[in-house]
Amino acid sequence: MAGLATTFGSGAMTNSINEIENAQVILVTGSNTTEAHPQVARRIFDAVDRGAKLIVIDPRKTLLAKRAHIHLAIRPGTDIPLLNTMMRIILDENLADDLFVEMRTENFHELRDMLFRLDCQEMAEIIGVPLEKIRAAAQIYGRAQKAVVCYCLGITQHICGTDTVQSIANLAMLSGNVEKEDTGVDPLRGQNNVQGACDMGGLPNVYPSYQRVDVDDFRLKFEKAWGVSLSGNPGLTVLEMTHGGKDGPVRAMFIMGENPLLSDPVQEKVRETLTNLEFLAVTDIFLTDTAELADVVFPAASFAEKTGTFTNSERRVQMVRRVIRPLGQSKTDADIIMELSRRLEYPMHYQSSAEVMEEIAMLAPVYGGMYHDRLEGSWGLQWPCWDREHDGTPFLHKYYFTRGRGRFVPASYQAPAELPDGDYPYLLSTGRVYHQYHTGTMSRKSTLLSREAGEALLQINPLDAGRLSVRNGDFLKMRSRRGEIKLRAELTDQVREGEVYTTFHFSEAPINLLTIAAQDGKSKCPEYKICAVSLEKRTEG
Amino acid sequence: MVLIMTNKYILKKDHLVPLLRQLGKEYQLVAPLENKHGDTLFTHIDNLDNCRVDLENQPQNSLKQFFFPQQEVLFRYRNQPGVSYEFEPAKSREDAVLYLGVRPCDLSAILYMDVVFLKDFKDPYYQKRRNNSVLVGLNCNTPFDNCFCNGTKSGPFIDYGFDLQLTDLGKYFLVESDRSRGEDILEKLHQFFELATEDDVKDQYQAYLESRGRFKRQVHVDLAMKNLAEGYVADGVWTELSERCQDCGGCAYICPTCVCFSIYDQQQSATEGERIRCWDACTFSGFTRMAGGHNPVDSSIRAIEQRFRHKLQFDVKKHGRPSCVGCGRCVEMCFGGTDIIRFINMACCEGM
Amino acid sequence: MKDVLTTCVYCGCGCGVYLHEENGRVISSAPSKKHPVSRNNLCVKGWHLHDFIHHPDRLTQPLMRKNGKLVPVDWDEAFAFTASELARIRQERSGDAVGFLASAKCTNEENYLFQKFARAVLGTNNIDHCARL
Repeated sequence: MAGLATTFGSGAMTNSINEIENAQVILVTGSNTTEAHPQVARRIFDAVDRGAKLIVIDPRKTLLAKRAHIHLAIRPGTDIPLLNTMMRIILDENLADDLFVEMRTENFHELRDMLFRLDCQEMAEIIGVPLEKIRAAAQIYGRAQKAVVCYCLGITQHICGTDTVQSIANLAMLSGNVEKEDTGVDPLRGQNNVQGACDMGGLPNVYPSYQRVDVDDFRLKFEKAWGVSLSGNPGLTVLEMTHGGKDGPVRAMFIMGENPLLSDPVQEKVRETLTNLEFLAVTDIFLTDTAELADVVFPAASFAEKTGTFTNSERRVQMVRRVIRPLGQSKTDADIIMELSRRLEYPMHYQSSAEVMEEIAMLAPVYGGMYHDRLEGSWGLQWPCWDREHDGTPFLHKYYFTRGRGRFVPASYQAPAELPDGDYPYLLSTGRVYHQYHTGTMSRKSTLLSREAGEALLQINPLDAGRLSVRNGDFLKMRSRRGEIKLRAELTDQVREGEVYTTFHFSEAPINLLTIAAQDGKSKCPEYKICAVSLEKRTEG
Repeated sequence: MVLIMTNKYILKKDHLVPLLRQLGKEYQLVAPLENKHGDTLFTHIDNLDNCRVDLENQPQNSLKQFFFPQQEVLFRYRNQPGVSYEFEPAKSREDAVLYLGVRPCDLSAILYMDVVFLKDFKDPYYQKRRNNSVLVGLNCNTPFDNCFCNGTKSGPFIDYGFDLQLTDLGKYFLVESDRSRGEDILEKLHQFFELATEDDVKDQYQAYLESRGRFKRQVHVDLAMKNLAEGYVADGVWTELSERCQDCGGCAYICPTCVCFSIYDQQQSATEGERIRCWDACTFSGFTRMAGGHNPVDSSIRAIEQRFRHKLQFDVKKHGRPSCVGCGRCVEMCFGGTDIIRFINMACCEGM
Repeated sequence: MKDVLTTCVYCGCGCGVYLHEENGRVISSAPSKKHPVSRNNLCVKGWHLHDFIHHPDRLTQPLMRKNGKLVPVDWDEAFAFTASELARIRQERSGDAVGFLASAKCTNEENYLFQKFARAVLGTNNIDHCARL
């Protein structure tokens, strides 16, 4: 979310989920919304039923794309040229919101200079979509009074992810489609509390509420509150930790409820790192593939066994309530951390999660008014919520951007790190399917969900399948420069010739044996959406 | 509808809670309660003085989950290889449960479940809970936004199927009984009830007439049933609906008459396990998939078709009634607008 | 027997879900009608939210690797060993030799405590989670 933070000053959904249904134009890019964010898709369907126009940018013909007024089936990785071309058309046709650009933004000239050097026809060829179709989309978006852009990991999981996000922000600012109700730029967060984990400082460079560790004022504030001296050096990112290899920078790891062995790219590297650690502790509710490598595994309580809060994609902080006692001897992660802390001579005395939240409210300004008693009596509060009197913030950047003026940051096309060639002729993208979630540790335990989607399937175009003599359900051997897995084929015209798609939910087909280590330079997001593979029919089953 | 003159009584509204307190001595009580979050759900009453019985709003759940839970352990098994198999039936609740505020749609749905679970094969789990139940109905004076029980002939008033039934006449409830268990209550707790007059019965009929005029939607269920039976529903209808369906299964889960289920064994250890029954939905592709991968309902288009034909055609043929009671719960909740009202409206446009 | 409103753990939408408990077991999930996100419906995962809670594969006791195998131990042993290993590495190398992965599946409060533990106790900012995955 580094991209939005640079341009707007804050990296979160600018709207509430319910505002989407009031938009006149909805542009969805890099999001398989019906499968990954069903509630958002529901709002989009409602909006379309009420007459809103839907533009979907996706290489695959997803369910949402089928219902779109305009589906731009771009070549994977050509989002930036597309967004730039749309902006150029908006400029050419006088659809830019000049007043908004003048009053609320800065650095417009740099964007404009870049756009005027653009050859739209040439771009359309790179993108793989007729210019006229792009023009139609640009006109619809540019003319809208209220337009929302929803994007997801299809944008960020590229080497140029941050630049693409900035380009989306550029487009929104250029046409004045931000800073209003029912209007804005909405990154959809993949996991239930990914927003909260970021907000709480589960990041190497910031304390809670995005206060940078390398800014002395912030560091001193936390040193005072916690009564210890703190390091002012930003720490390592997840891939710097898990891709360290035998002699990596970390020698011990403590992993709480994550499964990097399945979720991180280049599985062999992650395995090498984790197995060569001096010490690995994992807390989880199940013995995940990662936990199996650990020296100590703590049994954690599930969400139904504890009280606390989650923060959803629209920044809504809401209660998680305990229904039953922790199963067996399991303990909540909070109890585990507190006990370890006590044994390392830093006692943490919290009677309840409400008390922890009181400390958070004191130290994290955007959570300043979040108290459990307030959250109990409401449907949660959306940050920023500065104090007890504040009712929360349904949409961001009213009157001014968080950073003051919105900053245009022009970006240019960067070819993906690895494209298909003679040896590896197919382009592989990875993502999610509707019935499963992340590495499947929870959703695969459901008999019915697993019945609906019980194994990894490789979506492949029937024409490609014909060339490989592969029928629906046949096993394929899929190989990249990094590894090889086998999985069954699902013939579908959702994917085009030369492109294949599968998921990372299933440890039997660990797709991250194949994915590439390339990542975005700024956000450190791995390029999960593009790598080159070869396919071969497997006869022995 | 013909109102048969039976013994009818009056219950003062002030006396409802005292009556429930007395009933609570003999029965577990379940009623629509408005909780602290503002949602109204059929809920077990733990403490009558610390809950708000809500007879104004439609409970978001039906009574289905009380008779046919979403997940239920049927029995536990133990296998000592070569020695023995042991089966231990799951403990089920023995106590009698009184359900208050059962509107005609939900009552009608229970009568449909009776057909499925008790008519030919008798499901012991359902039977036990059903035998232990007392249903206190509530006629609907004000249909809700998506209600169409007038189209399915299951409301807004109903004159059979309940043990006791209340009709709100403003100052008090008119009380009727249809079965001996209701009669017993009237007799045992006679101090709460006084005989109704002819005028009260006329007021009830007036309330019924007025309620019929308050439906906000015109849903021609009979016409859709006819068009389905006569083959007038074009394939395009199913295609469009299936493109809207996001496969959540919510319509089946929330539906008071959808009773499809799945059964699976959950192994606990090498020698022990549980056999579990859980709700299922006919729109899920795995619901009809056969061993070897063939699926007779081979696409989401056919799955949607199956769902609506089952409700409005097959059940009409088999049981003489649609398995839709017009409660409207599946309507606004549908993610893609694949709901039954949209289907009925689409089906009515054909052949007209 | 009770219904408890909680928040779904499956995606970033954050639906309000009622979990229905009976005899210590969560047996069903249902949407909240008035909740601004769920608005009376859940996706298929949400409707099956209760399925994994009582799954027999749930970990119910601490495990430690002994002779190459993970074996059950009591809490005290697991805590003592973990604390001594972390203390040893902190002393022999530095807190920066330890990496922490927080979780997008845990609560805010737990994530707060976790990063506080990393930063205040181990003295390192090596903390991240799978925001990008």
